[in-house]
Amino acid sequence: MTYQIDPRTTLRPTTAAAVAALVLAVAVSGPARAEFPEKTIEMTTLFGGPAQTTSQVLADLMSKAIGQPVITVSRPGGGGAIGYTYIHSAAPDGYNIVFSSNSISTVYWQGKLPFNYAELAPIAQTGVEVPVLAVRADAGWKTLKDLQKAAKESGKKLRVGVSGLGSFTHLASAALFDRLDIPVVYIPYGEGRAPAELLGGRIDAALQWSSQFAPHVKAGTIDVLCMTSKEKVKLAVETETCDSQGATGLDLTIWRGLHAPKGTPPEVIAKLQDAAKSAVASPDYAKAADNLGFTPLYKSAADFGSMIAESDKEIGQLMTKLGINKVSK
Amino acid sequence: MDTFIAALSMSMSWSTLVASVFGAAVGLIFGAIPGLTYSMALAMVLPITFTMSHEPAIAMLLATYIGGMTGGAVSAILIGVPGTPSAAATVIDGEHMAKQGKASIAVGIATIAGCIGGILSLVVMMSSVDALARVAISFGPAEITALVVFGLSTICGLAGGSLVKGLIGGVIGLMLMNIGQDPIDGVPRFTFGTTTMLQGVDLLVAMIGLFAVPHVVTVLGTYWRGKEMRIEAGDVRTELPSLRLLFAQKWNLLRSSLIGTVVGAIPGTGGPIAAFLAYDQARRWSKHPERFGKGEVSGVVAPEASNHAVTGGAMIPLIGLGIPGDPATAIILGGLLIHGIQPGPLLFMEKPDVIMSIYLLFVLAYLITAVIQLFGVRVFVKALRVPPHLMALGIMVMCVVGSFAIRNSLFDVGVMCTVGFVAYWLIKGGIPVTPILLGLVLGPTLERESRTALIMSEGSPSIFVDSYTGLLFWGLAALILIGQVITIVRSKPAASAAGKS
Repeated sequence: MTYQIDPRTTLRPTTAAAVAALVLAVAVSGPARAEFPEKTIEMTTLFGGPAQTTSQVLADLMSKAIGQPVITVSRPGGGGAIGYTYIHSAAPDGYNIVFSSNSISTVYWQGKLPFNYAELAPIAQTGVEVPVLAVRADAGWKTLKDLQKAAKESGKKLRVGVSGLGSFTHLASAALFDRLDIPVVYIPYGEGRAPAELLGGRIDAALQWSSQFAPHVKAGTIDVLCMTSKEKVKLAVETETCDSQGATGLDLTIWRGLHAPKGTPPEVIAKLQDAAKSAVASPDYAKAADNLGFTPLYKSAADFGSMIAESDKEIGQLMTKLGINKVSK
Repeated sequence: MDTFIAALSMSMSWSTLVASVFGAAVGLIFGAIPGLTYSMALAMVLPITFTMSHEPAIAMLLATYIGGMTGGAVSAILIGVPGTPSAAATVIDGEHMAKQGKASIAVGIATIAGCIGGILSLVVMMSSVDALARVAISFGPAEITALVVFGLSTICGLAGGSLVKGLIGGVIGLMLMNIGQDPIDGVPRFTFGTTTMLQGVDLLVAMIGLFAVPHVVTVLGTYWRGKEMRIEAGDVRTELPSLRLLFAQKWNLLRSSLIGTVVGAIPGTGGPIAAFLAYDQARRWSKHPERFGKGEVSGVVAPEASNHAVTGGAMIPLIGLGIPGDPATAIILGGLLIHGIQPGPLLFMEKPDVIMSIYLLFVLAYLITAVIQLFGVRVFVKALRVPPHLMALGIMVMCVVGSFAIRNSLFDVGVMCTVGFVAYWLIKGGIPVTPILLGLVLGPTLERESRTALIMSEGSPSIFVDSYTGLLFWGLAALILIGQVITIVRSKPAASAAGKS
């Protein structure tokens, strides 16, 4: 069997000339170095679910602010380690950024990442998420004190659903129940399944995002007892802080923001930071935050960086206390 | 009735129709290409829906989901590589039907079975969403473990000639999925200390390697040795299945759809388990079980009706409780939330018109997907006229691109090739592929659920037999196992007698 080359598929002289002219035109206009950004910016996302949707909203709004498309690319796995590693080794030109969170601290202290937050350049904080503690309504626990009393009287370990062992919700739960002096068994579920397990009666409490519980709170099947931040924030469900409910001093929230590879030029970082700033300030972002259940919060690159340094230290100490710190400092 | 009319007028506008057609087309393409999944298609169309009003947005998301499920069967039948894990069971008989020149009938009946399965699941959902949501949440880690073990018992039926070789395949599949980060404690396993290998073996990547590479190697090997290549089914007719053929499948359709709806409703399970269970049941209830695996129509109808019924099943916890059962429905949930629709028990009371329009858009998505697919059959089967060695090259390119695209990771391309070449030698050694796939699909669920159950019970295995649901599935698995042992014991004397004569 022989194949003949179809003349229609080869370049005709006129087409070739046109292409050559085009290439030349681009080459001539090239030398004057264009300003950042001159092409699509790629935002790496580390997780699926609501976090991915949030990143897509942010990317969409940043595209409008920066004048080039910002697209999200999913690089999941290793609790975030895969995506961070990708960005760590990407070219520091501003076209590779990552939608980061304090998972960078948890994976580092778990020994899954050979570098820590300091090896990436902060761009801006874009939001904060506050987990809440929820219980089944028919348990009859209306406050954290009720739960504490019942758990101590029963003498049994409290079964608490978290997103995964070593995950942020696990750490926050541990810090909470440590303060209440209640023995606990942590049961790891993937994202999103904890409400089902709570409704099914297989766990006693769950620490998750308020938006997951909102429909059930309205339906009267689940009660939310408290939020883990020190300051009261507006959430999908109305509740008090754990701090004011007896877990004195508890202040654990998830930050979300953007990072670039270390060595990205400061003027490029500044442009990305400004795009993030105007995205966070837009009413569309506020609406998405309301619907998806997070709180918009902007911090500049410098403030964001010093906040992370503090938060990382705290997470490291917390993990040492839990005996899951594999790096130990 | 007023709600129905209001919802109907809201759902049947030009914008929702266009959105549905677009979604279904994107879904079909992503579903049909191995490695591109409907979860990826959903993630891609989600930002497009941000600026839409909510009906077209829901229409587009549902149509993408459903189109993706349907598209998976096309490549399963035409090239023997499942487009999505849910279509893996469709390969077994679909590929043989294509080789017998019945590709268009196979794609046609898969599409129609899928459409019927999907709409039946919606009917079940509409009539008993409350009760089914309650059943769904009664499945905890221990019960899902039992269900998965029941799923693994279908290896007995899929093993083909030798049960031992089938079991070897199953164990290989289970072992492959151990590579990477342990799902509970995050301990790295077989990673040789590298961060790259923390990602582990992705199910889709392994699946592509398992099905595509051996096929490509065989075809190219034959071509290289200069043998005359028979263009498979050179006279591909584009005929659609007759109504009589369809009618003969009514019980199979009903049974498979029910299996799919129930399995789909349980968070943490999904399409592949439903498809394999339905396939196994179809074979058990069939008058001609020996025809399965050789191009039996029921073997295409069962998995396709069942995996499509999963879409309606998955809507039960999603709409009824606001709980997504898998990554795809998690994206749909994100899409609903962003439009201010919070699924859950209250939605039924506060916004019955939204619920009604979700139902209508679901049906619309199915009809549009089926129409596009049935028209597409003509085009799809032309692929069979391409000389096999050229087709093989095309498949290989598609698989490399696909396995990269899943996680944007070059590591996955390497995994795909490695799994593929090992699979080629395993097949030569008579190890069937399907049990390996079953191990891949069920392994991670089995590990995660059984370990979560044991954490919950603080190490006591009694949790697995604590509930009637759990006991039921252990019992069913035991029945299948005992049945298989009896068959082997009975056939042995006969076989040895035949050997002597």
